[in-house]
Amino acid sequence: MKKLQIDRFQKVLILIIVLYSIFVTIKNPSFFQIATLFDIIRTSSTTMIVAIGLLVVMLSGGIDVSFMSIALFGSYTAINLMISAGINNIFFAFGVSAAIGAVLGLINALLINWLKLPPFIITLGTQNLFHGVMTTFIGDKSFGAGVLPRCLSGFGRSSILNIGGSKLTASVIPVILVGILTWFILYRTMTGRGIVAIGNNEESARRAGFSPFRIRLFVYAYSGILAGIMGMLYVCQTNALYPNKLVGDELTVVAAVVIGGAKITGGMGKILGAVLGVAIIYLLNTTLIMIGLSSSWNDLFVGTILVISVAVTSYQERVRNRNHLIFTE
Amino acid sequence: MDTILEVKHLCKSFIGVKALKDVSLSIRQGEIHCLAGENGCGKSTLVKNIAGVYTPDSGEILLNGHSYRSLTPVQAMQEGVQVIYQDLSLFQHMTVAENIALAKLKFEKNRFIHWSQVYKIAQEQLDKIGVTIDLNQTVGEISIANRQITAICRALAQDAKILFMDEPTTALTNKEVSQLLKIITDLKEKGLAVIFISHKLDEIFSVADTITIFRNGEKIGSFASSQLDKKKLSYYMTGREVEYPRYYRTVKNDTPVLKVDNLTKAGQYSNLSFSVRPGDIIGLTGLLGSGRTELAMSLFGLNPPQSGSVTIGEKKVSITSPGMAKKYGIALLPEDRFTQGLFMDRDIKENLTSSLIDNLTKHGILDKKEEKKIAEDSVEQLNVRTPSIDTVIGTLSGGNQQKVVIGKWLATHPKLFIMDTPTVGIDIGSKAEIYQQIQAFASGGMSILFISDEIQEILANCNRVMVLSEGKCVKILEEEDLAQENAAQILSELIGHHSSAGKEETQ
Repeated sequence: MKKLQIDRFQKVLILIIVLYSIFVTIKNPSFFQIATLFDIIRTSSTTMIVAIGLLVVMLSGGIDVSFMSIALFGSYTAINLMISAGINNIFFAFGVSAAIGAVLGLINALLINWLKLPPFIITLGTQNLFHGVMTTFIGDKSFGAGVLPRCLSGFGRSSILNIGGSKLTASVIPVILVGILTWFILYRTMTGRGIVAIGNNEESARRAGFSPFRIRLFVYAYSGILAGIMGMLYVCQTNALYPNKLVGDELTVVAAVVIGGAKITGGMGKILGAVLGVAIIYLLNTTLIMIGLSSSWNDLFVGTILVISVAVTSYQERVRNRNHLIFTE
Repeated sequence: MDTILEVKHLCKSFIGVKALKDVSLSIRQGEIHCLAGENGCGKSTLVKNIAGVYTPDSGEILLNGHSYRSLTPVQAMQEGVQVIYQDLSLFQHMTVAENIALAKLKFEKNRFIHWSQVYKIAQEQLDKIGVTIDLNQTVGEISIANRQITAICRALAQDAKILFMDEPTTALTNKEVSQLLKIITDLKEKGLAVIFISHKLDEIFSVADTITIFRNGEKIGSFASSQLDKKKLSYYMTGREVEYPRYYRTVKNDTPVLKVDNLTKAGQYSNLSFSVRPGDIIGLTGLLGSGRTELAMSLFGLNPPQSGSVTIGEKKVSITSPGMAKKYGIALLPEDRFTQGLFMDRDIKENLTSSLIDNLTKHGILDKKEEKKIAEDSVEQLNVRTPSIDTVIGTLSGGNQQKVVIGKWLATHPKLFIMDTPTVGIDIGSKAEIYQQIQAFASGGMSILFISDEIQEILANCNRVMVLSEGKCVKILEEEDLAQENAAQILSELIGHHSSAGKEETQ
């Protein structure tokens, strides 16, 4: 089945990861151990979830830069509720946060549909709006480890695998579930094909019987749900709740998804690509110090990879166009 | 044969403009019915009323015996109406298989996708018309002709009984056109009604059983195609006798403007030599892919040649950018005016002066008065029919848009004007007008390189013709060759003969 095959672009990403890992290992052999892998998985798990959500939005031809704001809103509100009501249940925590995310995502979709403005502008607006509403009406206090419901840090610390003292965090469970669910939606449901279809050509999708509005509702709500889950996962891992974290990190995720081969104009992109894009960014993040560079090199590398990967895709397209005698300069 | 579609007294207006006036029409099963008429005559409006995109103001539509005042798109499809629009409405990054099967599965209200079913549906449709395309390729990777076939298969997958095709052949090579026309004929034999909209009279006559002609929103009449000939058809379409003016060179100066010697680019064209004098309209013909467009691009600095020389006036030059070409007095009217010739969202004035921006600015500031003056002069000179020079170009008809492209380059006072298929998608009336203008330019001393594969058009306009095939010059026909009675036949043999000798295209 073609859908499961790894395409050339993804092979290149894997090759980059392998070559870079070999390079780091030569420079610093302590890199090559299972603990490093598990560490990268743990730190990148939250980003993986929102990257997959963003991929779905980008496949539909849209973009969402409000998801970090939604993540914070969802988790902050859910935990406030749990503290004041004395609830200590991990499923409740994730459920409420995801539900709030869904509502905020639906607001995004409705605004995009009513105002007929580019999703970037709308979600840039709601990014600030959601955060503002949260800090003004819900609260702007920070909560330390002592006050947070204990189930959160319990989940954040727990592991599902222990290899020689190196533990694989339980946070991979939501990541894997989200990955499988998203794969199923995108490749096995009519809604999923509709998402890809409207990202390719909205008018044609309408002619084929899809409702762009309904699909947009789904897409932004889904992105919101994943953001809600991500926000809660983040709190579990850090074991503290601040009213000003996450917001501002959206563009790194956008960068990761684009590095993974998703087209900003929609209709093209793979889950594996997004996952690899995130992996590359976090690999750089954690290893720069190992190879003797300060962390300020991080942005430089991420920026370079982003520009190169976009340039390569655009160059390939130009070559193809030239073969059809279309000159775009 | 049974009547499958009947339209009775259909009327439709848009903001005061009557697009359809009391149109009645009937279409039988198993016939190919051509709708002919100039741009804006109401053909497309009629199609959209039948497909449920527009709601008619009055009248009745009968499909398979069911009567409708107006239809929804879904009702239209349930009655077996399928429209293939000019843009094809395909999904670029999705596979051929999915493009064919998705709409069918969606209308059957499937919630889940089974890929084996997708491939099965797609393969069945391809088998029906006896074509093979790799189902796993994305639409962006396949040729325009195969995209057309994909769109047809998508319609077949949805049990099309009445298939509308809006100018399906504009972007196809001659060979691809014949393949498509064969497919259409096969479909007719299977009992489909095919309604074919085209500007190309040759095609209309080669496939149509019935031809219905529209003019200004009115139906002029339906005729069996044997009742008509090209002359009658164009008379009915335009309401006047259209006779293309024949060009004869009158300029006396024989000093070449452009000399091309042994120009070669591997894989595109090789050893091309010719020279162009003032007042020459040189026809450059051959099938799509014969190297004609590639050569034009090279002369305009977009596709640098590998060897050979280009001489302009006395000087050997190497043209490496369009800016340079412009300096040497070369202008290019591109084949695709939508993406390469015009800024579709901008107004006429800006489009007309876009080639002159450098001359119109003083210290980087645009001289608005001069801009307006030049634009007004061009609009008048070229007879562009528009309410104002501030009208957005995208809202004009094809013919008027093309006049603007011509005007834009005319403003640079070119010595050599390369025109790549200048009348593609343009109706007969505007065509004649554009020919007249081109011939007037040449008589004024301009040299023109006229790329086209329409033989009538070449014979009417060119005083010399170069025939290309697979990048090589087959023959250069001089004035006396073109004056012969059977010039059209000779030319079509030169073009056609070499195409059949070419390799068979499998895709």
